[in-house]
Amino acid sequence: MNYTNLGKDTPILDGLEKVTGRARFVPDLKVEGMLYGKVLRSPYPHARLLKIDTSKAERVSGVKGIITGNNVSQHRFGTMVPDWVILPRDKVRFHGDEIAAVAANSEEAAAEAASLIKVEYEELPAVYDPELAMAEDAPQLYEDKENNIAVTFNVHTGNVDDALAKADLVFEETYETNQVYQAHMEPMGALVVPGDYERLIMWLSTQVPSMSRLRYAEALEMCSEDLRIIKPHVGGGFGAKFEYKSHILAAVLTRKTGLPVRMVNCREEDFRAGNPRVPMKIWVKLGLKKDGTLLAKDTKIIAGNGARTVYAPAITSTACYRIDSLYKFQNVRSTGYTVYTNTIPTSCFRGFGNAQMHFAMESALDTICHQNNLDPIEIRKLNGVTPGFTSIHGWEINSCALKECLEKATQESDWYEKKKEADQKGPVKKGIGVAICNHVSGNRPFYKPFDGSSSLVRLTPEGKAIVFTGEADIGQGMNTTFALIAAEAVGLNVKDVRTAAVDTDISPFGLGSFATRGTTIGGRAVYEAAINLKKQLIEHVARVYEKQAEEIKINNGKIYFAGNEEPLPVAEAMQQISYTLGGTSLVGHGVFVPNTVLPDENKYGNVSPAYPFACHIAEVEVDTETGKIRLLNYWAVHDVGRVLNKQTLEGQIEGGVMMGAGWVLGEDMVLKDGALVNPNFHDYCLPTAMDIPRGKIYSYFMESDDPNGPFGAKGIGEPSLNPVPAAIANAVFDAVGVRITDLPITPEKILAGLDI
Amino acid sequence: MTNSSKKRGLLTISFKLNQEDYTMEINSDERLLDLIRNRLGLIGTKESCGGGECGACTIIMNGLAVNSCIIPAARADGAEIITIEGLSKGMEDELHPLQKSFLEKGAVQCGYCTPGMLLSAKAFLDQNSGREVSREDIKEAISGNICRCTGYQKIVEAIYSYALERKGNN
Ligand code: FES
Ligand code: FES
Repeated sequence: MNYTNLGKDTPILDGLEKVTGRARFVPDLKVEGMLYGKVLRSPYPHARLLKIDTSKAERVSGVKGIITGNNVSQHRFGTMVPDWVILPRDKVRFHGDEIAAVAANSEEAAAEAASLIKVEYEELPAVYDPELAMAEDAPQLYEDKENNIAVTFNVHTGNVDDALAKADLVFEETYETNQVYQAHMEPMGALVVPGDYERLIMWLSTQVPSMSRLRYAEALEMCSEDLRIIKPHVGGGFGAKFEYKSHILAAVLTRKTGLPVRMVNCREEDFRAGNPRVPMKIWVKLGLKKDGTLLAKDTKIIAGNGARTVYAPAITSTACYRIDSLYKFQNVRSTGYTVYTNTIPTSCFRGFGNAQMHFAMESALDTICHQNNLDPIEIRKLNGVTPGFTSIHGWEINSCALKECLEKATQESDWYEKKKEADQKGPVKKGIGVAICNHVSGNRPFYKPFDGSSSLVRLTPEGKAIVFTGEADIGQGMNTTFALIAAEAVGLNVKDVRTAAVDTDISPFGLGSFATRGTTIGGRAVYEAAINLKKQLIEHVARVYEKQAEEIKINNGKIYFAGNEEPLPVAEAMQQISYTLGGTSLVGHGVFVPNTVLPDENKYGNVSPAYPFACHIAEVEVDTETGKIRLLNYWAVHDVGRVLNKQTLEGQIEGGVMMGAGWVLGEDMVLKDGALVNPNFHDYCLPTAMDIPRGKIYSYFMESDDPNGPFGAKGIGEPSLNPVPAAIANAVFDAVGVRITDLPITPEKILAGLDI
Repeated sequence: MTNSSKKRGLLTISFKLNQEDYTMEINSDERLLDLIRNRLGLIGTKESCGGGECGACTIIMNGLAVNSCIIPAARADGAEIITIEGLSKGMEDELHPLQKSFLEKGAVQCGYCTPGMLLSAKAFLDQNSGREVSREDIKEAISGNICRCTGYQKIVEAIYSYALERKGNN
């Protein structure tokens, strides 16, 4: 298939404003009379609120409004569990929990007033470890949540006990994944402006504009149509930028003062009260035949929810069972507890639980292969799902190039040669490790009421197309992908297409950027809208130019007729068409409702229209004297269905690999008595340019042409990270024979492992 | 009775910013970043950590890339400053070749780190104008600038390819 716009390196269409510094993010937005919001946060991990005195704070000059639990509604709402209130009246549950919020005419005045709010606390016993929190005598966070369990997930399909009894090999291990921070470079923030008709206009740094509107309407007890959400440029999200308490506080302050309020986290707040990755303790038991055929998987997971529920229960269930559709399992059982602790509420972070479980599963397979002299590549080929396969949970694997990914990665990395390399002299040892992954492109159970997306594409009298979608570009290049899809589907050149910023007054509803759904679900809706537009365009060209619709073709911005007639530029035709239609634009409308199935009580369903796959191979060097690990090369082969934009795909992979590498090789949110001891980039070490592989991150793409994705495309955002922790951990083991089962893999752990 | 405006010393400073002369009255505890963003309205200089640890607020001051969030505005007295707005002018002006290279090579995703990254790269290349630079040199030069989106590889390539092209033109 020859495409005009697809499969190339297309620089992002909003790059110009970014390289010139003109792109505006929430912290860059200012309106006349704007106030600055500041949140007062709890200095205790668990305490009863006895008294809040704001009298001194109110007298600070410039202060326009203060809200506390005493003067805001106490109704409960929430994302998955109704355990949120705007501000609490009874108690605080984590170090960083919101107690009050101030709006003042300068940042200094807001900060000073917040510091002058006097709160009397009665400290309560606290619990930080999810496993300990489940104990009978553990301090309880919510009266109605026994053993601090927010949600329990259970699945059992087949007969695990039987299968384990019959297995030749049974392997058991416990893995731990730690809490890490998304570290989006733009901190979370909002600007709320009072609108006409008593509406609120909210400029949000968010990945879910439409869903936020629904949730904030519930929080503010308003009609969602009275909230207008606008998403400017967003400086990264990676899962953190979902519904957020401070957005609501800014809105309440705006209603109270009648003035615009901007509330932006400082970095420390973003650390202390963001939505970090769900930490997990994962027990895995696997049964196999002698040849490596997987017979059964038994898992128990205890996951940290933090002090209130954001999306951790969905993340825990994902960790429990998504990987069951990577391999051809016959018997699986999983129990997952999402448990309250007096710590920062946890939530989505690239990989959404599947990343945590991949660390466990892919590490386990590596150990099994090592112990039983099995080939880690072959065992994955033997067990991996194949095109047309229906998984144990009913997931229909349409397109799947997993085997091809394994082959390509093995070949490009020279895997078998490197595995053969004899004993290495000197203190620095090289190693190589493999891991594979699956993921979704949209997740049916995430938002129960419905699945899908819709879009409008408008063709102006000048022949330019504008794509309207509610799906959010958060810096990953979605807007460019949408424009490419529309351009190709209509037959335009992408330089004549742009995607409008999300504005809920104008854009169709879009669930948002999560579950790697943008390209496949959002993109397919854009495709449908573009096809609808093309049909209209052809009909009007036929009418105005007196031609047969069947003989009209559109490509690269030109309209072709039968025979040798000169092609007509779309812009020229559109001008004529608009003259006959009162100057109108043509608007294509498209809807995509995927053929997914909401899982039933046995978790049987089909959660996504398309499943992406990948194989990663990491090559590392470990210094046995210092324990230091260095990435040498990295091969990432992805089944993306179809390459729409090679450059942004590579960008997602390189970013995902380094984000995963940062996690495995050192990132860690360290708590002491419930307080985060490293809430800054000095003590919380993110990868820098010095940490990228000494050689290269090599990206390759397999085009499996998915029947549901636009032009066959599947998602990339999260699969780029899922296999990274295990690929690196396995490479480290290959290098020095030290198996680390709890993240991060630090030099200290390596040295301790070498000592034994 | 409390008052938010503590007694602060007022100073007058003069500096050159993006080729223009300025004389301004500042508070002694004012950060250079706030002067640039809030008082001059040049929002291309970003704040991300506010503690000198990420490079989002990088500007070039007297030829050196510095973090404007930890520099008192008073230090700008007599200085020559370039912000991202000074790398190319207005919407009509041609981009600096580094900006072009970032665009073409896919070195930009969300763009929040981009202005700081570009200025660190420019200061580094200007300081090494007569010298060949390696990818390793570049990695070191931008190691104070955090990018969470790109994994750095395309940024290093963008800077490296411009460095080569520049050498070819010399
Ligand atoms: S904002 Fe100045 S170094 Fe991070
Ligand atoms: S492009 Fe997003 S932080 Fe660098």
